[in-house]
Amino acid sequence: MTYKPPAHHALLLNALINPASLVEYNATKWELLLRLARKVKLLGRLAIDLKNRGLLDHIPLRAANLLQSSLIQVKRLQQITHWELNRISWALKDTGAPVVALKGVAYFLAGVPESDGRMYVDLDIMVPKDRLSDVESTLTKKGWVHHHKLSAYDEHYYRAWSHEIPPLIHSERETEVDIHHTLSPPTSRLEINTGLLFSAAVTAGNSGYRILCPADMVLHCAVNLFQNNELADDLRDLLDIHDLLLFFSKNEKDFWEKLIERANQLNLGRSLFYGLYFSRFIFQTPIPENLENDLNEKPNPLSRRIMHYLVPQALFPLHPDKHSRHALVARSLLYLRSHWIRMPIHLLVPHLAYKTYLSIFRAKQ
Amino acid sequence: MIVGQIPFSEFFSLLSNQGLRAKMGPFNMQIRTASSTLAEHLYSLYGNYELVERDLVEFHVQISPVRLIKKPFSPHALFFLDGRSLFPPFPAEQALAALEWGINLAVAARINHLLLFHSAIVERKGYAVILPASPGSGKTTLCTALVHRGYRLFSDEFGLMDPGREIFLPIPRLMPLKNESIRAIRNYLPEAVLGPEIRNTHKGTITHVRPPTESIARSDETAKAKWIIFPKWVSDAPLRLDPLPDSEAFLLLASNSFNYEVLGDTSFQAVTRLIRSCRCYKLIYSEFDAALTAIDALTDDI
Repeated sequence: MTYKPPAHHALLLNALINPASLVEYNATKWELLLRLARKVKLLGRLAIDLKNRGLLDHIPLRAANLLQSSLIQVKRLQQITHWELNRISWALKDTGAPVVALKGVAYFLAGVPESDGRMYVDLDIMVPKDRLSDVESTLTKKGWVHHHKLSAYDEHYYRAWSHEIPPLIHSERETEVDIHHTLSPPTSRLEINTGLLFSAAVTAGNSGYRILCPADMVLHCAVNLFQNNELADDLRDLLDIHDLLLFFSKNEKDFWEKLIERANQLNLGRSLFYGLYFSRFIFQTPIPENLENDLNEKPNPLSRRIMHYLVPQALFPLHPDKHSRHALVARSLLYLRSHWIRMPIHLLVPHLAYKTYLSIFRAKQ
Repeated sequence: MIVGQIPFSEFFSLLSNQGLRAKMGPFNMQIRTASSTLAEHLYSLYGNYELVERDLVEFHVQISPVRLIKKPFSPHALFFLDGRSLFPPFPAEQALAALEWGINLAVAARINHLLLFHSAIVERKGYAVILPASPGSGKTTLCTALVHRGYRLFSDEFGLMDPGREIFLPIPRLMPLKNESIRAIRNYLPEAVLGPEIRNTHKGTITHVRPPTESIARSDETAKAKWIIFPKWVSDAPLRLDPLPDSEAFLLLASNSFNYEVLGDTSFQAVTRLIRSCRCYKLIYSEFDAALTAIDALTDDI
């Protein structure tokens, strides 16, 4: 089964799956494509896909200029994020705390070719929970400060319910540092044995930096998308899963078996199920058939059917000129779902009530 | 076809429906608003821009009314770039200033294939004069005077440089005069076409000057730069035009750029070559006549 998308989804999807066909796009198609790709942070990706094929000179000049502009910005963000990782490693050297780089930087360090055009704005790292206070106080002594002035409520939200501490930023630089201690909020129903993640972490090439092992990297991406995020405009994250699966299945021995085994060991079957399912459904990733059958935890058939309908509506950007009612409803439902699975109901209801209150009375000031 | 060639009714219908698509220098803009007041101002001030007929548009902006819970009876509006609001709501009567400012912000946020100097640029005898300056130095005012006295307007705000080809690209847009400059220009250039006076903006009172017709008609003609002049208006000061060392000019120019750091090595090389190929000066002036005479004399000598 492959995805039969509405026209504007098809326009974007075709560009991602078959970049060479972009030389056929006329000005009208390009205009819409650029708006859609920007919305889901994929301009840099399109730029690198065309550049690598030597096709940037074969598309309308205005489109090529916007793609070049994005690629230059992406490169700059990558550069300063890598520098931030360098500085963080330097600052934490004496603490002896193991630091694992996550997400965009990690894909780059792992050598995933498509990560060249991937936009990443923050630096995400993970340290063991029992080293958190040491890490935080060391960094604040060495020039990092809390990025936003937090209300007491937000501070409490981070400290008690989140898998990250409030973001830090070095006072002389511009990259936000998100420090995680696990992959998903402690309030969610997942209980991840983080020790296993640290002990399986690997050194990336000769960079000296630590990253998650291939299977864990895919699992983190899936957990982040299907457990932590609200899915709206998150197509880029599903594309990450697709890229990682392609790359590791080509370069790692017995990758698929290891992936399933690891998901079962860490009890992350549900998220991986959705990751595999939608990557295959939308991007036609060549995943072995029935691979998911070996997962211990799988969503029930009703959840699958509902997600099958809702997820693409949320992942793909809305049409900039005509918002489909279906897509808006799908997004609201998935927004509620994301909170529902992150927090038990006795925490969730007051939290959403408070956020709603703020959105009405604070943001308008 | 230019905007002024279509009747106002059609112009307003475009603005309030599918969007007015107009070419501003190297970029195409799509503007939408249902405000008839804003439409009237734009019809006179945007009259010389070419309509985009077949090409694609890079920037989609919109001005929409918004009701504030705290001020339910005072009409406010929001500026949207591709459906995303970029700054807080503003009083509806400031829509023109917000639109112009919002478009600047959009260009500065998205464009990196060109180096963007925070600078006015005018052209004489086929060569660009770069007038970089920090806000409040009278850059727009001087630029307005120059482009009504024989210089061609590239921009009062954005020096767009193609770093590979070392050429500057015109982007003639409305020039916002602030506070005392408004009266100074009304007195000095009675022929200048000015928009409405917009009061109480975060920069005080603002009035926009329409770019000269010829500057917009020739906005595809690029130029290499030959002079860099850092202007500063100082009340009652005698005119001074002093050469500036290259090193100082480099620092001033690089730190007056929107995306110098983003372009990294490319911008370092480009600014180095630019400084080497230009003569650099610092200008202090208090009167237009003296400043224009000095800049004329300088640019006479190619």
